[in-house]
Amino acid sequence: MQERLQNILSQAQEAVAEVTELSKLDELRVQFLGKKGGLTEMMKTLGKLSAEERPKAGQVINEAKQAVQSLLNAKKKELDDAKLAQKLAEETIDITLPGRDADIGSLHPVTRTLTRIETLFANAGFDVETGPEIEDDWHNFEALNIPETHPARAMHDTFYINENTVLRTHTSGVQIRTMENKQPPLRVIAPGRVYRCDSDQTHTPMFHQVEGLIIEKNSSFAQLRTLIIEFLRKFFEDDELKVRFRPSYFPFTEPSAEVDIATNLFGDGRWIEVLGCGMVHPNVLKNVGIDPDEYTGLAFGLGVERLAMLRYNVKDLRQFFENDLRFLQQFK
Amino acid sequence: MKFSENWLREWSNPQWNTHELSEGLSLAGLEVDGIEPVAGEFTNVVVGHVLSVEKHPDADKLNITQVDVGEEEPVQIVCGAKNVVAGMKACCAKVGAVLPGNFKIKKAKLRGVPSHGMLCGATEIGLPDDGVDGLLVLPNNAPVGQDVREYLDLNDSSIDVDLTPNRADCFSILGLARDVHAISGAPFNQPFEDKELAGTSACSQNIVVLQEQACPKYLGCVVSGFDTTAQTPSWMVQKLQRSGLRSLSLVVDITNYVLMELGQPMHAFDLDKLQGDIQVRMANAGEKLVTLDEKEISLSDNTLVIADDSGAVALAGIMGGLSTSVTDTTSKIFFECAHFSRLAITGQARNYGLHTDSSMRFERGVDPMLPERALNRALQLFTEIAGGEVSAFNSVISEDYLPKPAVIELRRETIASRLGVAVENEQVEKIFVDLGFEIQISDLGWTVTSPSFRFDMAIEMDLIEEIGRVYGYNSLPETPVMAPMTLNELLESEQSLNALKTGLVQRGYNEVVTYSFVAEDKQKLIAPDLPYVVLKNPISDDMKAMRTTLFTGLLQSMAYNQNRQQSRVRLFETGLVFYKNDADSTGATQVPMFGGAIVGSANIAGWDVENRNVDFYDMKGDVETLLGMSHKADKVSYETCTNPALHPGQSASITLDGKEIGVMGQLHPQLVKTMGVSGTVFMFQIRQDALLNMDVPKASAISKFPEVQRDLAFVMDESQSVQSLIDCVNSVKSDILQSIDIFDIYRGQGIEDSQKSIAITLRIQHQDRTLQDEEVENLVSEVLTAAKAINAELR
Repeated sequence: MQERLQNILSQAQEAVAEVTELSKLDELRVQFLGKKGGLTEMMKTLGKLSAEERPKAGQVINEAKQAVQSLLNAKKKELDDAKLAQKLAEETIDITLPGRDADIGSLHPVTRTLTRIETLFANAGFDVETGPEIEDDWHNFEALNIPETHPARAMHDTFYINENTVLRTHTSGVQIRTMENKQPPLRVIAPGRVYRCDSDQTHTPMFHQVEGLIIEKNSSFAQLRTLIIEFLRKFFEDDELKVRFRPSYFPFTEPSAEVDIATNLFGDGRWIEVLGCGMVHPNVLKNVGIDPDEYTGLAFGLGVERLAMLRYNVKDLRQFFENDLRFLQQFK
Repeated sequence: MKFSENWLREWSNPQWNTHELSEGLSLAGLEVDGIEPVAGEFTNVVVGHVLSVEKHPDADKLNITQVDVGEEEPVQIVCGAKNVVAGMKACCAKVGAVLPGNFKIKKAKLRGVPSHGMLCGATEIGLPDDGVDGLLVLPNNAPVGQDVREYLDLNDSSIDVDLTPNRADCFSILGLARDVHAISGAPFNQPFEDKELAGTSACSQNIVVLQEQACPKYLGCVVSGFDTTAQTPSWMVQKLQRSGLRSLSLVVDITNYVLMELGQPMHAFDLDKLQGDIQVRMANAGEKLVTLDEKEISLSDNTLVIADDSGAVALAGIMGGLSTSVTDTTSKIFFECAHFSRLAITGQARNYGLHTDSSMRFERGVDPMLPERALNRALQLFTEIAGGEVSAFNSVISEDYLPKPAVIELRRETIASRLGVAVENEQVEKIFVDLGFEIQISDLGWTVTSPSFRFDMAIEMDLIEEIGRVYGYNSLPETPVMAPMTLNELLESEQSLNALKTGLVQRGYNEVVTYSFVAEDKQKLIAPDLPYVVLKNPISDDMKAMRTTLFTGLLQSMAYNQNRQQSRVRLFETGLVFYKNDADSTGATQVPMFGGAIVGSANIAGWDVENRNVDFYDMKGDVETLLGMSHKADKVSYETCTNPALHPGQSASITLDGKEIGVMGQLHPQLVKTMGVSGTVFMFQIRQDALLNMDVPKASAISKFPEVQRDLAFVMDESQSVQSLIDCVNSVKSDILQSIDIFDIYRGQGIEDSQKSIAITLRIQHQDRTLQDEEVENLVSEVLTAAKAINAELR
């Protein structure tokens, strides 16, 4: 019997090895394990054996049956795998072709810069305020300690609507509006468009500023300088950035300074002015009903395009307002 | 203001090189705008004496010269200059010299003749072109062999400082030197002695000041019997030139010299041309004056003039008149040296388009104590050069109207608290003394009296700025702002503008920033009905009207890009529009808007992308995205509108709670060409206030029971909007109808020409249980009944 079983087993091995299709495998299962299969036939002969021999022989046959079954199972898996592999191979595509409609526009570099500035200051607890761009004389000049006859008026290249209204020449007017409407202490920034009647290679008649204002008890000029330097270093992500304060003059601050940073935009490490700042002039505080002996103010005005040029390597100011897609798309 | 560095150094000479001096000035608040060396970089060029000139045997245009350069033997130089003559003195670059541009002078042979050096013209040593075609001719007394840099004082620079309006006191070498002294510690040293020049003979010119407030001090004197042929000495010409002033005549040069040196503007009249008294008065309206630059101006009655019996002879503090000016034949001069108040001069120069060195100084303030000193200085220079008799000074002074020095209390404590650094007492005192202030110790600190030349001193903070400026802003300690730590509000009901912008960026839009002023004619086409504000002084006619819509700028940017081969353009802009409104204190209602414009293909080019142009619904999807981001998509309605900028059949007004918050649609085909664009353009504009708020989400329970869908197709008239069908379905009261989707619009076979078929899906679901068939069928039949009421028949 042993011999016969060996025989069947090796027949099964040979037959399974040759199979290439699942249907053929099914035929083999019937042939070897079906009702008329050799092993089933042998099971039927067990009755002829003695009671002692029977369990042993039954076990041997069952083992042979299992051996054939696992041969069939292994083959089935092999065929399934091959079929799947073939299907997958057939479905292979060129993954290097571009995807559909990856349509990304761009935020204007001025917006990008403004967002960066706003975020830095908002993180330090500053509120963002806005104001009108057609502004009255009081908010743009008078309240900022720039009376009618002040020589600084001539320097402002103001666009006039009429005698009493102008296009704001700076965002400093928002300082006044904020102080008129809110009680100190205050920490605000005011971003926005400003206008000067000047147009050449380095001036556009419209540009952007961010005004900053802190009203606190006992704030000092040294604190203002520390804040500005920290801002510039964080903005440019450069802890080594060289910053210098130059005494300057604004009617609405005292002391006043212009701030330069050393830049390599033009390859020579030259100083470039990026902002003006100072302590709010006591007259300005009085104009909005704040006692200059109780509170002191720190104020600054940043030129947004200038910062954007330095940050993004833009060499011509006018590009910001030409809106050429080839320029804008660089700020995706 | 431009000045000669060496001139400044005569007054105060710190151990700084030019660059350091410039840094020092800038960091003291006197911003240096430019530094121009007066000559190029060169070495080894000396005064040469041309001993002989012979023709070159082999070259017509060359000469062979023997030049004495102060050495044992003369050198032979072949020279091509036309003006070379024996006996002249000229600049000679010796062998080994390096001329500007790193041009090295070596021994050479020119057409076979050895040449050991080069005779130079002005531009060859980096001097301004003197107009001479050939060599720079030096005076006969120039010492042979002396280095030309030294002889011509060429180690000098013209420095240009950009003075802020508060620093009128620095409009002179004297003023600059005072600051340099204070910041550098270098001694302050006036290089000449003040002398009293007033003579004993009476001044023959009478002076009448009718405007004492405008002219609180007027000094004059007469000089006669001087050498009318006297020339301006070269040292003076040179200093003036390097300070940006052209030499004109001795008298003008001297007044300019004093203006530069001390900061006092002066004027000289030809005494013989003056008739009667000098009068300082306001002009009569319409009075005429021909100024020195030969322009006739018509005066207004708020202009201060100097007049004689014949009428105005000078614009006070601005410019003299032609008829009384000093000429070659003048034999008697009347010198004027006055103090005009700032207010009297401010704005006047601008009114007449005359910006002069004099008006610039008077507008900002000239030291009222200076006229006596300046007049003496001018007379000192004049008499030293041209001789002459000086009369006694005739002076009219109104003490009451002279500016008074400010007396200010300076508290020691305020310095520390405002500057953020404690400055030593001695240093504070030294700073003020160096700057010319008087300082006395008082209870809380000091009593400080400003000098007469400082018009910018009024309050304690002005003094603190002076301390900070001289102490050095960049030496202040690092101290962070100290304030209580509090958390800012974070309003979730506010939508951020940046989030909305980013939403459009992700849909392929590019943000533009256009000018807020546009061409009036274009705006009139786009928004003919909106009242707008006009600039009084626009840059150009194209930038005259304040925009009432973002469309004009968007279309301009679109045109710009289309003209540069961009066929697919998608743009948006945010910003204010301005509606004229006299009721507002600014004369305008200023409304923040969000606008966009698109043209070209709907999708970016691809290898299997459908190639079609954008249409109304592409833009509407973008608009719905924006509104959706602010939770408004299902709250707004779209109504047909008549907007003059838009196609009447493809435009919509977007309304929220019955109010129009925006418009969208196709650019009116008639405007396409006039606006400079091409193709079918779609645009939208929405008020930002409608977009910048939203709901804080409140979740409701999700049903666990299965959803049932029913697809229905209705046939209705073309003239009826799909919205009317949706509204009608929605009008069926039901708590199981969850939503309605439109999934097809069909026109064609099986549907009559004037009709369309609309296919919708009803999504039906119960919150608490599985639906019965009957409930669904009831709902459907109610929907059908409702639809019938608007003549929408089930297909």
